[in-house]
Amino acid sequence: MTPRRIETLYRICWTVALLLLAVPFVFPFLWMISGGFKSTTEIFGAPTLIPRVWRFENFAEVFAYQPFARQYFNSLYIAATVTVLTLFIASLAGYALARIRFAGAGLLMLFLVMALMVPEEVTIIPNFFLIRAMGLIDTHWPLILLPVFGPQGVVATFLMRQFFLALPRELEEAGKMDGLSRFGVWRKIALPMARPALAAVAIITFLHSWNLFLEPLIFLSSLDKFTLPLALSNFNDSYGLPLWNLQLAATSLAVVPILIIYLIAQRQIIESFALSGVKG
Amino acid sequence: MTKVLLKDIRKRFGTVEVIRGVDLEIEDGEFVVFVGPSGCGKSTLLRLISGLEHISEGELSIGGRIVNEVPAAKRGVAMVFQSYALYPHLTVRDNMGFGLKVRKVPAGERARRVSEAASTLKLEPLLDRFPRQLSGGQRQRVAIGRAIVGNPDVFLFDEPLSNLDAELRVHMRSEIAALHQRLSTTMIYVTHDQIEAMTLADKIVVLREGKIEQVGTPRVLYKSPGTIFVAQFIGSPKMNILPLADGQPISHGASVPATAVSVGIRPEHLSLVQPSAETLRGKVRLAEYTGAVTLIHVELDGGQTCLVIHNQGTMPEISAEVGLKAAPEHLHFFDKEGCAV
Amino acid sequence: MAGTASRDNAARQPGAPWLTLKTREMLEAWLFVSPTFIGFLIFFLGPLVAIFYYSMTEWNLLSQQATFVGLRNFENALLENPDFWHVVRNSVIFALGLVPLNIALALSLALALSRPFFGVVFFRTVFFAPVVTSAIAWAIVWKFMLQGEGGAVNQMLAWIGIDGPNWLREPNWAMAAVIVTRVIKMVGLNMILYIAALQSIPRDYEEAATLEGASRWQVFRMITWPLLAPTTLVIMVLTTIGSFKVFDHIYQMTGGGPENGTLVLAFYIYQQGFKFFNVGYAAALALIMFAIVMALTLVQVMLRRRDME
Ligand SMILES: Nc1ncnc2c1ncn2[C@@H]1O[C@H](COP(=O)(O)OP(=O)(O)OP(=O)(O)O)[C@@H](O)[C@H]1O
Ligand SMILES: [Mg+2]
Repeated sequence: MTPRRIETLYRICWTVALLLLAVPFVFPFLWMISGGFKSTTEIFGAPTLIPRVWRFENFAEVFAYQPFARQYFNSLYIAATVTVLTLFIASLAGYALARIRFAGAGLLMLFLVMALMVPEEVTIIPNFFLIRAMGLIDTHWPLILLPVFGPQGVVATFLMRQFFLALPRELEEAGKMDGLSRFGVWRKIALPMARPALAAVAIITFLHSWNLFLEPLIFLSSLDKFTLPLALSNFNDSYGLPLWNLQLAATSLAVVPILIIYLIAQRQIIESFALSGVKG
Repeated sequence: MTKVLLKDIRKRFGTVEVIRGVDLEIEDGEFVVFVGPSGCGKSTLLRLISGLEHISEGELSIGGRIVNEVPAAKRGVAMVFQSYALYPHLTVRDNMGFGLKVRKVPAGERARRVSEAASTLKLEPLLDRFPRQLSGGQRQRVAIGRAIVGNPDVFLFDEPLSNLDAELRVHMRSEIAALHQRLSTTMIYVTHDQIEAMTLADKIVVLREGKIEQVGTPRVLYKSPGTIFVAQFIGSPKMNILPLADGQPISHGASVPATAVSVGIRPEHLSLVQPSAETLRGKVRLAEYTGAVTLIHVELDGGQTCLVIHNQGTMPEISAEVGLKAAPEHLHFFDKEGCAV
Repeated sequence: MAGTASRDNAARQPGAPWLTLKTREMLEAWLFVSPTFIGFLIFFLGPLVAIFYYSMTEWNLLSQQATFVGLRNFENALLENPDFWHVVRNSVIFALGLVPLNIALALSLALALSRPFFGVVFFRTVFFAPVVTSAIAWAIVWKFMLQGEGGAVNQMLAWIGIDGPNWLREPNWAMAAVIVTRVIKMVGLNMILYIAALQSIPRDYEEAATLEGASRWQVFRMITWPLLAPTTLVIMVLTTIGSFKVFDHIYQMTGGGPENGTLVLAFYIYQQGFKFFNVGYAAALALIMFAIVMALTLVQVMLRRRDME
């Protein structure tokens, strides 16, 4: 065999191995969607990938069982709010930490690094009492405030800082010479050039909020205030056993749109995570 | 009247003093060039004048007004950066008009001034392009255009030509000279390049380790450098400095000051002659042919190497014994501290 | 102090602002960081201090009164309550299973996918997809697939003649299932970190080694792996810390069961604090978790420093 042939064979082996390995990564998604269309009897019968009978009513029942549309909206607007707030606050602080020499900057950085290392589980108990004292139990406030000012916000701040550090300083100085205030330099020069970093922060922040679970579980009790992950885990019958077909239908509704966006923007999304991971 | 006056200006970064007491007077309409070795504080001094750095101590006045605490944009100065610093997200037109827009100049007036500057610099065809679509020389011109648009009292340039290739650099140099003639605005210019300094400057300021070593016209700095440092810094290739004892034969006809310990002769003022008692003597070690002239390295009997610019037809052999001679008026004498005497 | 005098002088010049430029700059900077800073004080530093206090109290649910009990809660955890050590054991098993599996798989995938070839984008997209999916959704589907009777996994095993266990009903199998499904969910993240690191290694090294006759394995062993060491260290610590924080996955898949077989620290804290309302005890547990995470981070810093030398 020629070396070229060997190379080809080698490639084929690799590809087959990767395809096999991909099964547990892909199959759950397919199985989830298929399960969402099955009837209760079929769910517990011999499993097939394509449902024998397509039961579209499941999706209607999802909305009847819980205020699912409302919950969906909750997740959306909370994630959007958290993202916008985080972008604003993190880019402001990240800019100052990257660009202004000021007393206390070092100390602040140290604190932020600390905040990055302490798991949310550690501060959640005092935060619960704090939120309760503020009268914000069973509201969406904690789901907005805690992520914005928690470790996720710190990651965003560091990402922005890192990006601003790499921006050419002379550009901002030119802006200053042109008469911009500090805020103007941030708004008119730094931010427009920071679009890639802002996009990365937006992506990881949105997904983090969208998938948040511990905080909703602890702070929310009314069904119509639930967010998606909490709602999904709530499709149980009166014995606490899962209503599989409804749960899978609801899960599909929650997951598939994100997956579609992911497939369209996979490059950007993966890069965003790579950036934040390298930081962390 | 925009005189720029520096009074005992100092700048510290942390505990390091980078600018260590600079006094300087820049006349209205003057073209002043800062030169000096890398790290001597040229850029820092320029940035102190621009307002981009805060002055630690001393007093800076521009046009009679003390501006230590006046923000950069209100000092009436414009800066051309080494990297041009054009806003990548704005077109050439918007780049040039940005400062006016920030200062709330009405749109009509803004357009007029931008197009005026654009025509001065022949930028009209480029106005709607983005910086990334321009060549280096074009970017440079836009950067200058942006500075002109604001009608500043003082222009500041920090090595504006160092990112251009040799040919463009010569071209832009003459454009800047022409610009200065036309506007006759005060200009302060930082460069590494001797030729730039010599050709552009009304007045050269030689900086060394955060202090002014000498100020003067290019001619004065060349003809009568105040110190060995300046003597060696201005002129290329640099001046030969010999201990007075070794230089004895050549200083024959000159009146040697009593305190002198060394003598300097520029390579272009030395000529190769037959060795004799009235010449320096040495062996040719290396001859670098550059076209117009040949640069000859002569190892003197005392051990030092002396550079000679040779432009006659006959080329000495390597290892040939030669004599070096110079006219007495071209000799520079320096004392123990390196000051001219 | 000549400088100060001249500054004061200058401040009174026409056109000069009231505050000196330096002071202004400082105020601006603090204005920029103030939202972050205030939020940080309220939702991080405050709670971090408070948790020490909470850990030394006992909470009465009815009267909402806290009684100071000193180190009682820590004694309870470390010395008396057998649950605690069971939970620690579970957490350690979870970490010991998850971390090596995750890293080995991530590195293999990265090595396979760090060079362009036909289908590389497809594979990267596939292996990363679970990372963007909510842990709850992921756990729901896997719980569904891991049912003893009629679960998809056991069905597939049956095709190749294996009689699969009732995965989530037997403590050891449940632990294994939770570990493996968590690895599948998160391995994509480490994979891309490794890919980024691999792509930043100049190809020259490898080419030089290949010219000297090194085999693929030797190139990996002698060149790639040592060059990846800093990345591996970061990944290892992040993954280990991450494994101690896993909550939602376990909540949804096993609820800590069966027979507390998957009851790990993060879940135990939640249970004690928010289900049984043993606030003081839960706070003590949280502090212990904090200590573990800090220790792991310190180990990283120390290893790194040794690495540098
Ligand atoms: N922001 C700063 N912080 C600390 N030190 C600085 C800062 N800016 C400049 N320096 C120091 O001040 C000294 C002078 O720097 P400056 O940039 O003015 O030199 P320069 O003469 O312009 O050199 P070059 O010709 O290389 O541009 C250098 O030693 C430099 O390290
Ligand atoms: Mg410089």
